[in-house]
Amino acid sequence: MKEAAVRLRFDNVVQRFRIIQERPDTLREAFAKFRRRTSFHDFEAVKHVSFQVAEGEMVGVIGRNGSGKSTILKIIAGVYIPTSGEVTVNGSIAPLIELGAGFHHELTGRENILLNGLLLGLPKREVLRREAQIIEFAELGDFIDVPVKQYSSGMYMRLAFAIATEVNPDILLIDEILAVGDGEFRRKCFERIEQFRTLGKTILFVSHDLGSIRQFCDRVLLLHGGELIEDGPADFVISRYEALLAQHVDSLRTQAW
Amino acid sequence: MTEFVRDTYRYRELIWALALKELRVRYKRSLLGFFWALLNPALLMIVLTLVFGTIMRFSIDHYAVFLLSMLLPWTFFSQCLAYSVDSVVGNGELMKKVHVAKLVFPVAAIVSNIVNFLLSLIPLALLIALLRFPLHWTWVYLPVPMLGLFLFTLGTAFFFATANVFYRDVSHIVQILLSAWFYFSPIIYSLDFIPEKYRWLFRMNPMLYVLNGFRLSIYYGKLPSLSSSALSLGCGIAALVIGFSIFRHYQNRFIYYI
Repeated sequence: MKEAAVRLRFDNVVQRFRIIQERPDTLREAFAKFRRRTSFHDFEAVKHVSFQVAEGEMVGVIGRNGSGKSTILKIIAGVYIPTSGEVTVNGSIAPLIELGAGFHHELTGRENILLNGLLLGLPKREVLRREAQIIEFAELGDFIDVPVKQYSSGMYMRLAFAIATEVNPDILLIDEILAVGDGEFRRKCFERIEQFRTLGKTILFVSHDLGSIRQFCDRVLLLHGGELIEDGPADFVISRYEALLAQHVDSLRTQAW
Repeated sequence: MTEFVRDTYRYRELIWALALKELRVRYKRSLLGFFWALLNPALLMIVLTLVFGTIMRFSIDHYAVFLLSMLLPWTFFSQCLAYSVDSVVGNGELMKKVHVAKLVFPVAAIVSNIVNFLLSLIPLALLIALLRFPLHWTWVYLPVPMLGLFLFTLGTAFFFATANVFYRDVSHIVQILLSAWFYFSPIIYSLDFIPEKYRWLFRMNPMLYVLNGFRLSIYYGKLPSLSSSALSLGCGIAALVIGFSIFRHYQNRFIYYI
C-alpha cells in the first residue's frame, strides 16, 4: 500500500466519441440533414477505466495503436471532458503530448518560450526567471533570437522539451515524443526525466519503446481496446503485452473496435 | 459574467502575449514594421480627405472628419469580427493538445485590434490639426463610446466564434453581414438624410449609439444625451452577456468539432 498522496485518480472513466459519417460542417449540410438522417455510431475510446497514481510514481502506459493511451493522457491534461466517471488531478500538469504544439513559426525562440510558458499556465515572471535555463538546456545559443521556422527539427524539439520540463510541473505527461531525436538528445531527456523522478514528481509515460518503459517505470498500465486490462509491475505487464502481440492477428482484429 | 471577468483577469498575461503575437506576426517581415499601424489609417485618411475634400464636394462641411469619426470605430469592429470568427477554429490544433481556457483566443483577437485602433487615433488627431478643424474638448468623452464599442465587439465576437465552430459558413456570412450593416449604419451619411418615418428602423441598430458618441464628440464637439450614452453602454453589456453565455455553454463541445 502506498503512503504517498494520490496525484491522479480515474474512477470508472468513459470517453465516448460520436463518429458521424457526415457531420454537418456547413449549414447546407445541416439543412440536408432534415431530409436524410446522417449515420453515426458511438465509439468508446476509453471504457470504464479506474486507476490511481501516487506522488513520485513513474507509470508506463502501453497498448496497441488505438487502445486509448493518448486519450487518457488528454483527459488528464483537461483537453477532453470524460463522458462519465470521475477524474481527480492534484497538482500542476505539463503535457508533452506533442512537442511544440503552441509554437508560432514566425516568432523567435525567445518569444515562443514566453508564449508556451504562459500556455502551460506559468506566470510571466516565472517564465522569464527560467528563460536562461531553458535556453541552456535546449543548447540553442544565438539561435534563440531566430524565428523557429528556421530551426532544424532537433532544435525545435530540444526547445519544446526544455520548456515543458522547466515549468516544473507536479505531473508530467509524456506521449511517445522521445522516439524522435538523436541519441544525444534522448540521453539528455532521459536524464531530465530521471531527475524528475528523484524529485518525487509523478510521471505518466506512453511509449511503444518497451526497453525504456522497463528501464524507467516501476508500474505499467496495459490498455487494450479502451479497457485497462492489466495494472502491475513493469516486467509482468510487459510480458502480458508481448503475449498479446504474439496472439493471432485475426483474434486481435475481432477484439479491437 | 463574473466568470468572464475572472478568467480574463486570470489569463491576462497569456491574452496579452497572444495579442502581441498577432500584432508581431501581422507586421513581421515588412520594412516599416509596427509603423504600419499608424501609417495605414493615415494613408486611408489622406485618400478620403482628397476624394471628399476636393473631388466630390458634399454638403457636409469637413466631410473627411465627419466620415472618419465613425469609420475608424467601424473598421475596428469589422476587423475584430473578421479576425475573431476564426479564432477558435484557427487554434484548434493547439486546443487538442493542451488545456487552455478557450476564451483567451477571441479576447486576444480583440485586444490586438484595440491596440491598432487606439494607435489610429493619433493620425486622426494629426489630420484634424492639419485641416485646421477644431480639436474639440469633447474628445475627453471618447472613453465612454470606446468602452461600449469594445464590449459590444467582444460579445459579437464570442457569438460568431462559437457559431463558426459548428458551421464554417459563418465566417462567410459575417463578411456579408458586415457590409450590409455598414450601409445600415449612418457612417457615410447622416441620419438626418433619412425621412423621419423610417428613422425608427435605423434606431434599432445596436451599433448606432456607440458610433454616434464618436461622431458627436469628434465632429460636432457635443456630448450625446444621457439616454444615448446609456444605450451605447447598455447595448455593449447586453451583447457581451449574451455572447459570452452562448460561448460558455458550448465551449466544452468545441474540441469535438475542430
